[in-house]
Amino acid sequence: MKRQLAALGILMLLVFALPVYAGVPLDTVQKSVNKVLDVLRDPKLKADSAKEMKKEKLRIIYKSMFDEIEFSKRTLAKNWSKLNAAQQKEFVDLFEQILEKSYIDKILSYTNEKIEFYKENMNSETQAEIQTKIVTSSKEIPIFYRVIKKDNVWKVYDVVVENVSLVQNYRTQFNDILTKNTPEQLLEILRKKVKDQ
Amino acid sequence: MKRFSCLVLIAALLVIGCAHSSNRTSSAQQTDNISSTPQEAKATVNTKQTQAMQAEASPPAENKAKSDDEYLDDIKDEEVITIADPLEPFNRAMYVFNDKLYFWLLKPVAQGYSKVVPEPARISVKNFFTNLGFPIRFISFVLQADFSGAATEVGRFGINTIWGIGGLMDPAAENKINLPKQDTDFGLTLGYYGVGHGFYIVWPILGPSSPRDSVDIIGEYFLYPVSYINPWYIWLSVKSLDEVNATSLRIGDYESLQDAAIDPYVAVRDAYIQYRLKKIKGNDVKPEAAKTARESNPAKD
Repeated sequence: MKRQLAALGILMLLVFALPVYAGVPLDTVQKSVNKVLDVLRDPKLKADSAKEMKKEKLRIIYKSMFDEIEFSKRTLAKNWSKLNAAQQKEFVDLFEQILEKSYIDKILSYTNEKIEFYKENMNSETQAEIQTKIVTSSKEIPIFYRVIKKDNVWKVYDVVVENVSLVQNYRTQFNDILTKNTPEQLLEILRKKVKDQ
Repeated sequence: MKRFSCLVLIAALLVIGCAHSSNRTSSAQQTDNISSTPQEAKATVNTKQTQAMQAEASPPAENKAKSDDEYLDDIKDEEVITIADPLEPFNRAMYVFNDKLYFWLLKPVAQGYSKVVPEPARISVKNFFTNLGFPIRFISFVLQADFSGAATEVGRFGINTIWGIGGLMDPAAENKINLPKQDTDFGLTLGYYGVGHGFYIVWPILGPSSPRDSVDIIGEYFLYPVSYINPWYIWLSVKSLDEVNATSLRIGDYESLQDAAIDPYVAVRDAYIQYRLKKIKGNDVKPEAAKTARESNPAKD
């Protein structure tokens, strides 16, 4: 009897421990990515005319998935405080548009490649890295999402593609620009980029 | 008996408790269905090192209330990834040259080529040339004292040359054998022993490099079998096929990087440095070292 009780206890422990094992950060990212895939696979949205609708749906997912302010802060690093509040707001907005325009075609060209979520690394209580890869016929592309927990919600603040961190890449560029230019000039460069794209 | 069951219960509690607090890397693996590959193991080691580094940099920070400037602390660790660029004017000119070379010559040729040759065939050609790169990778691994890497290379070369029809296929990477493709070279070997890049240099045609990574140009000259092809015009055609074929499989990558960049020259430079650095870091950490580094990290509950 006692032995059965102990076994039951262990079993219950295992059962209750499992949800913790699954990992909230990984789940969160995976859910968002699956939502994106659902939109991309949706047969009703296959037509070219539905492209705008698709974009609109993706934008909503993006907003809930990414922490765009954290993203902007980290790309500007110590330069962030050199921008006044209005400039910061405009920067976040412009930067988001640039990213959207650069990557939307890449995302829309998705053709059923497999996406594997295979690891979650907790870097601290509030930061984690989710490792995924896209498997195509000719190669595997590792994509890591770095997520941060704020107000109990995990949001992405950096994407690392083939070991190249997007935030770091932009940080080098903005730093280079800001050593020679003022914040206002940087915004002007970004405005021009948005217009030209 | 009663005592025994209690003991088991406590042991179970401890085990679960430990796994929960400090070892989530392995926990996430439980949910996946991929067997652990050497690469994966390397990745784990790598991230463990980062964890350890973070812990070193900010020991009690984890329990501290998160301030607005927290992002700056995180960034400090990363910011070492830069490279001197004293030749910037020359490099920018070479960047423009290579850019034009790509858009005016290489890309159109590769696009035409990919229309004629179906993708599976192009992948085979790529496998073939990758297989020929065996001597460089093997010697690099030996020089890095990475004998399991070297052994994997030997295994891959043997299997793929014999069962992969002279390297056209890659049966070694398949699940049963599970010797996935590896990547290393002499530049990374020097990097492994702590030799820095020096500065950034953009070679015409060959692209981003540094004095350190340029040793690969010499290494390739002596150890890449294609270099020994005579007469020169056959060598040139084979080399071009290698290049065009590889390009045909990654059309669009450079374009999207360029499209997203504010200053494409700086974006490419940074991507190159980050990419190379991570490769060295991935090889760098020995499991024991990572373990001790982790144990000195009691900050987590």
